[in-house]
Amino acid sequence: MNAVTDQLAPPILEVEDLRTHFFTRDGVVRAVNGVSFSLRPGETLGIVGESGCGKSVTALSILRLIPRDLGRVVGGSIRFEGRELTGLDEQEMRGLRGHRISMIFQEPMTSLNPVLTIGLQIAENVQRHLGLSKKAAWDRAVEMLSLVKIADPHRRVHEYPHQLSGGMRQRVMIAMALSCDPQILIADEPTTALDVTIQAQILDLMLELKEKLGTAIIMITHDLGVVAETCQQVIVMYAGRKVEEAPVEELFDRPMHPYTRGLMAAVPRLDGRLEGGVRPRLQEIPGIVPSLTAPLPGCPFEPRCAFSTEQCARHMPPLERRGAAHDAACFEVDRVLEKSLV
Amino acid sequence: MSEPVKLEVTDLVKHFPVRAGLLQRQVGAVRAVDGVSFKLRRGETLGVVGESGCGKSTVGRTVMKLLEPSAGRIVLGKADITSLGRQAMWPHRRNIQMVFQDPFSSLNPRMSAGDIVGEPIRNFGLAKGSEREQQVAALFDRVGLRPEAMRKYPHEFSGGQRQRLGIAKALAVNPEVIVADEPVSALDVSVQAQVLNLMIDLQEELRLAYLFISHDLAVMRHISHRIAVMYLGRIVELAPKEALFEQPLHPYTEALLSAAPVPNPRIKKQRIILQGDVPSPSKPPSGCHFHTRCPYAIARCKTEDPKLREIRPGHFAACIRREPGETQPALAPAQH
Amino acid sequence: MSAASIALEPAAGRASSGLWSEIRRNPTIFLGCAILLVLAACAILAPWIAADPLKHAPVNRLKAPSAEFWFGTDQFGRDIYSRIVYGARVSLIVGLSVAAISSVLGLTIGLLCGFYRWFDGIVMRIMDGIMAIPSILLAIALITLVHPSLTVVIIAIIIPEVPRIVRLVRSVVLSIREQPYIDGAVAGGTKAPRLLVRHVLPNAVAPLIVQATYVCASAIITEAGLSFLGAGVPPEIPSWGNIIAQGRVFFQLTPWVILIPGVFLALTVLAVNMLGDGLRDRLDPRLARRM
Repeated sequence: MNAVTDQLAPPILEVEDLRTHFFTRDGVVRAVNGVSFSLRPGETLGIVGESGCGKSVTALSILRLIPRDLGRVVGGSIRFEGRELTGLDEQEMRGLRGHRISMIFQEPMTSLNPVLTIGLQIAENVQRHLGLSKKAAWDRAVEMLSLVKIADPHRRVHEYPHQLSGGMRQRVMIAMALSCDPQILIADEPTTALDVTIQAQILDLMLELKEKLGTAIIMITHDLGVVAETCQQVIVMYAGRKVEEAPVEELFDRPMHPYTRGLMAAVPRLDGRLEGGVRPRLQEIPGIVPSLTAPLPGCPFEPRCAFSTEQCARHMPPLERRGAAHDAACFEVDRVLEKSLV
Repeated sequence: MSEPVKLEVTDLVKHFPVRAGLLQRQVGAVRAVDGVSFKLRRGETLGVVGESGCGKSTVGRTVMKLLEPSAGRIVLGKADITSLGRQAMWPHRRNIQMVFQDPFSSLNPRMSAGDIVGEPIRNFGLAKGSEREQQVAALFDRVGLRPEAMRKYPHEFSGGQRQRLGIAKALAVNPEVIVADEPVSALDVSVQAQVLNLMIDLQEELRLAYLFISHDLAVMRHISHRIAVMYLGRIVELAPKEALFEQPLHPYTEALLSAAPVPNPRIKKQRIILQGDVPSPSKPPSGCHFHTRCPYAIARCKTEDPKLREIRPGHFAACIRREPGETQPALAPAQH
Repeated sequence: MSAASIALEPAAGRASSGLWSEIRRNPTIFLGCAILLVLAACAILAPWIAADPLKHAPVNRLKAPSAEFWFGTDQFGRDIYSRIVYGARVSLIVGLSVAAISSVLGLTIGLLCGFYRWFDGIVMRIMDGIMAIPSILLAIALITLVHPSLTVVIIAIIIPEVPRIVRLVRSVVLSIREQPYIDGAVAGGTKAPRLLVRHVLPNAVAPLIVQATYVCASAIITEAGLSFLGAGVPPEIPSWGNIIAQGRVFFQLTPWVILIPGVFLALTVLAVNMLGDGLRDRLDPRLARRM
C-alpha cells in the first residue's frame, strides 16, 4: 500500500449514518440514506456509483454546500479531526472550506469567477484563510501554478479563466484547492468533462501532488477505471446507501455485492482478449434505479438483482464485515461469491 | 469483405468560416474536417474515435447533410449526395438515419413518444392511421419499450429509455446506414450496456451499417469492426479493431490507448502521458498535426504532410516514420 | 427486460393533481384568475347589474358614495358605479384584443424571421424602425389622423407592441433551431412547414403566453393613459381613463371620482401581472424544474 497512508493513525474524517434529504413537490428525496465511512490521513478513498446514487450529495453534505431551500442534512454526524461539523455555524464552516477541506468539481468554469484573473482568485483564497500579505499571497499563487505544472506561471497568473483550456482550468482549480495545504481534497468527477489524454495528465498530477503534500483525497467518480488507477479504498453506493466497501484490489478481485459485480460486467473492457470479429454481449443490469422518494422496504437493488430472494424484498440487508476489511450489504454474499467473475 | 459498400466518403472537407470585426469579414477558417476518406459496408460498424475538437461529430453531421460539405464526395448507396440541396436530399434520408448523443434534448418535449417515432413513417408516406400505429408499436417492442408507452411524453422516460426511443425513430424508415453520434456517452454504465447490446442485436438482425462516433475507447472496442482514429480533422489511423488495439501504428493512437484508465488495479500500465493540449483547429500545426505532442517526432514531421498509407494489409496509418510492409513493433523515441 | 424497466420507472407523471393541490402550488395564478373572472363577469353582466352610465341627472351632481350611488356621482350626476362597470368592458376588450392580435402577428412574423434569413433581414429593420418611435406619440398621431374609436385605439396600441413580440419569438426560435431535436426531425425527413408547425411553434408558445399577459396589462394602462390625455376612446364611451380625465377638475372636491376607477385600474393590472408571473413560473422549465 501507499507509504504516506498511515493505517494506524486515527482517521481525520469520520462520517456516521449521514442522511441528507431533499424536499421537493413530489415528496422527500432520500438522496443520502445512512452512509458511514472514515478517511485516514493521506488516503485516497473512492466513492463510485451511477448518477443519483448520492455520491456527490455526500461530498456536498460534508462541506455543507447543499442549497438550503432544496434540502439539508437531517441526521448523522461528520467529525473532522475529532470535531463535529454538523453543529458548526456558517462562519466556522466558511473557515474550513477551501482551507482545511477543499473541493474541486467536474466543470471548473462554474467555480471560477470569469471576470477575475486566476492569480487574483488563488491569492484571495490564501489571503482570506492564511492571512498572508498581498505580496506573499501573489507569490503563493505563482508557486501553486508551477506546482500544478502550468508552464510560464508568471504570465499565466494574469490570465482569465476563459483564456485557458479545459485541462488547464482543472489545473488551476487544483492549484486553488491546494493553496492552503488542506487535509482533505474532495474531487467530484474531476476528469469527467476532460478528454482521455488530458484526464491522464490530471490524474497523474493529482497522485503526484498527493504523494508530495500528503493530502487525503475523496475521489468521487462513476468510472471504475479511474477508481482502479487512483484509489486505495473504495465505497460503492447505490440509491443513497453504501452497499460495499473494500480496499481497491480486494474489491476488484472479490466483488461481493451483486450491484458491484453488475457494474464491472457492464463496462466494455479495454483489457482482455479480442476474439476475431465476435462481439460478446455486455452483461446488462436490467431496469433502472428506484425512486428515492418511495424507498422499498427491502434492499434497493432487489428488483434488478439476479440473486434476490424473498428476504431481500422484505428486509434491508445490513452492512456487514464479510472478509478482511471487506464490508457488503447483501444477504446472499455466499451465493454471489460462488459464481465466478466473467 | 464481399458486402456491398453502403457509404463512401472521399476527401471530405468541412471548414467553418471565422468572422471578425464590425463587418463580419472572414478572417480564417476552422478546419473541422480536413480530408477524410472511408468506406462503410453493409452489416459493418466503423468506429470514429478522437478527442473533442477532432472533427468526428462534424464528419457525422456532414454525412447526414445537416451540414454542407466544403469539398469532397459523399456517396450513399449508389447516389452521390455531396451537393444535393434540401429538396433533392429528402428522398435519400430514408437510407441514412441518425441516433443522437443527448437523449434529453434530441426528442421534441412537446410530442408524444408515439408521434416522435412515427414521424419519419408519416414524412415518407409509408403508412397511415392504424397501420402506422401498428408499425410504431412494433418498433417500440423491437427496442424493448412497451407499446403502451406511445402516449407518454419524453420527460416521462428515463435516459436509457429515451435513447431507445431515438433508436426506434432511426429504424422507422428501414435505413441502411445509421450514424450514431456518441449514443451512449450520456448514459450510466448499467444502462449503456443495455443500449449497446440492443444496437448490436439490431445490426445483426437487419444488417445495418453503423458509423459509430465516440470518444470512449472501451465502447469502440466493443462495438466496432474497424476503427478510424481522428486528430485535428484528419484520420491518423484506420484499422480492424484487433490490429488497432493489439498493435497501434500511429503514436497518437498508442498514447490514446495508454491513457485510458483500465478497471483493474493490478495492471500498472506504462503510461504515455502526452504533454500539452490539442492545438486549435483554426491554426493547426504545420506538417503532421500531431508533431507538437508526439514523443517520436523528428525534424521532417514539422514540414512533411503524412498521407494515410496502408502499412499492413487493411491497416492504414498517417505517420512518415512508418513504412508500408514494415513489421517493426515500436518506434524509437526521437533524439533531442 | 422492458417490463422491468417500465415497472421501475420513477413516478414522473404525478397521479393526483386535484384542483386544490393546483391552487396550493400556484396561488398567484389562481388569485389573478379569480380577480379577472369577477371583472369579466361584471363587464358581461353590465346591463343587468348597472344603470345607464350615460344618463345625466343634474340633481345628483357630485354626490358622495352612498347606498343609492355606491361610488358617488360625477359633475353631470352620472353614476360612477355604473360607469366603472361599463368601463371594465373597455379595459378588458382593449387588454385582451391587443394581447391576442399582437401575439398572433408577432408569432407569425417572429417564426418566419427566425426561420428564413432573407425575411429576417428585411423585417427586423422595419421592426427596429417602429421601435424607434415613442409609442404614445405614435398612438396620438394615429388617433388625430383618423376619427377616434375603440378600434383605432386598439390598433394604435398594437403597432408598437408587435416588434417587441417579434423580437422575443425570433430569439426563442433561433435558440430552438439549435436544439438537437430539430436536427433529429430534419434527419427523419421532416419538411420545413411541418418543422415550423410541429417542432418550433409548440416550443415557442410558452414564453409567448407569458409575454402576452404583460402586453395585456400594459395595453390596459396605455388605453387609460391615452383616454386621460384625450387621445383615446371617444369621451362619450365610459372608460376608466375617461372617468379619471373628466373627474380631474373636481379632484379636490370629489376625490372618489378619480380614486375609485384608479383602484380598479391598478387591481386589474395587478391581477393580469400575477397571472403572468404565475404562468412564467409554471411554464419556464428552468424555474419550474426545481429538483
